[in-house]
Amino acid sequence: MDSTLPSGPAVHIEGLDKHYGSFHALRKINLSVDRGEKIVICGPSGSGKSTLIRCINRLEQHDGGRIAVLGTELNDDVGNIDGIGREVGMVFQHFNLFPHMTVLENCMIAPVIVRKRPRAEAETTARRFLEKVRIPEQAMKFPSQLSGGQQQRVAIARALCMQPQIMLFDEPTSTLDPEMIAEVLDVMVTLASEGMTMICVTHEMGFARRVADRVIFMDAGEIVEEAPPEAFFTSSRNERTRQFLSQVLGH
Amino acid sequence: MVSLLRNQKVRNALLQALYVGSLAATVLACVMIARRNLAEQGITSGFDFLFKSTGWDVNFSLLPATANDPNWWFFLIGIVNTLFLGTTGLVLATIVGTIVGLARTSSNELARLLGRTYVDIFRNIPLILQVFFWYALITHLPTPRAAHEAFGMLLTSRGLYVPVPNVGGTALAAAMLAVIAAIAFPVWLGRTPRLNQPFGERSTIQLASAAGALACAAILLAVGRLPDLPLLDFPALQGLNLKGGLRIPPEFSALAGAIAIYGGSYIAEIVRGGFKAVGKGQMEAALSLGLSPWRVFTQVRLPLALRAMLPILANQYVWLMKATTMGIAVGFTDFFMIVALTINHSGQTLEVIGILMAGFLAINLSLAAVFNRINKAIALKGNQLRG
Ligand SMILES: Nc1ncnc2c1ncn2[C@@H]1O[C@H](COP(=O)(O)OP(=O)(O)OP(=O)(O)O)[C@@H](O)[C@H]1O
Ligand SMILES: [Mg+2]
Repeated sequence: MDSTLPSGPAVHIEGLDKHYGSFHALRKINLSVDRGEKIVICGPSGSGKSTLIRCINRLEQHDGGRIAVLGTELNDDVGNIDGIGREVGMVFQHFNLFPHMTVLENCMIAPVIVRKRPRAEAETTARRFLEKVRIPEQAMKFPSQLSGGQQQRVAIARALCMQPQIMLFDEPTSTLDPEMIAEVLDVMVTLASEGMTMICVTHEMGFARRVADRVIFMDAGEIVEEAPPEAFFTSSRNERTRQFLSQVLGH
Repeated sequence: MVSLLRNQKVRNALLQALYVGSLAATVLACVMIARRNLAEQGITSGFDFLFKSTGWDVNFSLLPATANDPNWWFFLIGIVNTLFLGTTGLVLATIVGTIVGLARTSSNELARLLGRTYVDIFRNIPLILQVFFWYALITHLPTPRAAHEAFGMLLTSRGLYVPVPNVGGTALAAAMLAVIAAIAFPVWLGRTPRLNQPFGERSTIQLASAAGALACAAILLAVGRLPDLPLLDFPALQGLNLKGGLRIPPEFSALAGAIAIYGGSYIAEIVRGGFKAVGKGQMEAALSLGLSPWRVFTQVRLPLALRAMLPILANQYVWLMKATTMGIAVGFTDFFMIVALTINHSGQTLEVIGILMAGFLAINLSLAAVFNRINKAIALKGNQLRG
């Protein structure tokens, strides 16, 4: 599928600015993510991590600079946005499953409606991805009947069913209990090993060490530091980074 | 014996029996006291009056009515009138409420302001004043000779005259049922688990059944058509008066309009609350999956909002149904007014009030039951599997 698309980075961000009213949430962000690359973004609360990845799939609109996803610039051209939206999957902190649909229906709705897949085919795909996130037996249940970890895995399967080229994760494990965190991270590690382009906001430093190609540290709407995980964790010279690391790794 | 009393289920059953028993005893005592008092005053009680003719007439009825009809027939007329007024009012109030409620949740500032103004004004004027206002307005419309005309309808101080089909009553009723079936049956087909066909691939049978039902309706209308008359009977001026068509009296229009506008302001708040209750996260998830804003609305926002609204909406409907008793204020012969007139003419106060209460209980309990079923059917599932 890749060959049909223009080559170049999966995501290219240049001089990105974003305001909420008079509040300057993102300041001159530059970031380029190659196809197949795994990026982990961390930083203190309110530093703009969510805002940044939400700009990538247009849940927020930027007001300065440029974002190009898979070679297409995100601007007010509706056609562009529609085409790109389906290539970018997103997993949220609070799962955001559709409570009035079964797990299977959650996974089928977008392929059927957006990609116009026949239902039988969409169902096969959905079951395959539910298998992949290791909950095939929950297909006919409703989200409220699942544990948090199971719900988050459904959310991952739901996004994967659209067969996106890029996956965004916004603190996917921060509301989960420790054993459930492991379930979800396992799925994410598998996904990474299969070559998916991933941009993950997370404070799971073990995960970052294991799969990230680069770790990005944000503070006050800026990218403060950007380094491969080993260098990031061991030899960061930046005062803010070290203070943050001592807080997350401290105990 | 003691151990039996300690059983939770047995205890509950005993308490229930005690409760029902004491209630029945109270009612019985009241009835007996009332009977004795009435007998002392020389008033006979009983339901014989139901079968005597009324001796008075009603100003609006969907059923044939003359002064010779018995009282029970008039009660039926009253109930049908109340249902007609109530249903019209509820449907209109729902339409108004949905539009205003959506305006209140819109991202457009002007729409929000208009919606808020509407709610603030109409929710805070008592219903009875609104009924009087519309009634005064309608009765000050031009006389039949200078009637306003629109779409074959005539708007006059004597009421709204609408064209009716020149079709026999039975055929017309049957055709209406067929039209309802044309809507309801495909909906049912789309949800029933009894069909082997997978959900979503049923549009062909749905379309076919709808077309079939509509064809039946057309045939019924053609067969039941009165000979030598045009299909539609248009109202027209003849001499000083209007002939033809169906006259909807000003009383009905004023009541239905007031219920629609007043009820609409309450329903708007329910609609707004329902949409507010839908998590932003679900809509963002749908958007991030590539669904268009319209699809996000129909697939996620509306279904979730409906689930949040329905229980409160059911209460509101029951409440508005009771508001039809305002009919007596402007002289519309709804159930309540017929009851009041019957009391005047027959003197059987207690019996007639009993009938009134039973009638309204029946109407409102059925309404509540229907809503409960819908609620149950679509409620978000908790701890059990579906089906
Ligand atoms: N819709 C909004 N309106 C106004 N301000 C907002 C909005 N969304 C975010 N902000 C502000 O923008 C800043 C960055 O928010 P963002 O959610 O991106 O932070 P974050 O790094 O993801 O934090 P956290 O770790 O708590 O999720 C915060 O100060 C926040 O208050
Ligand atoms: Mg965040």
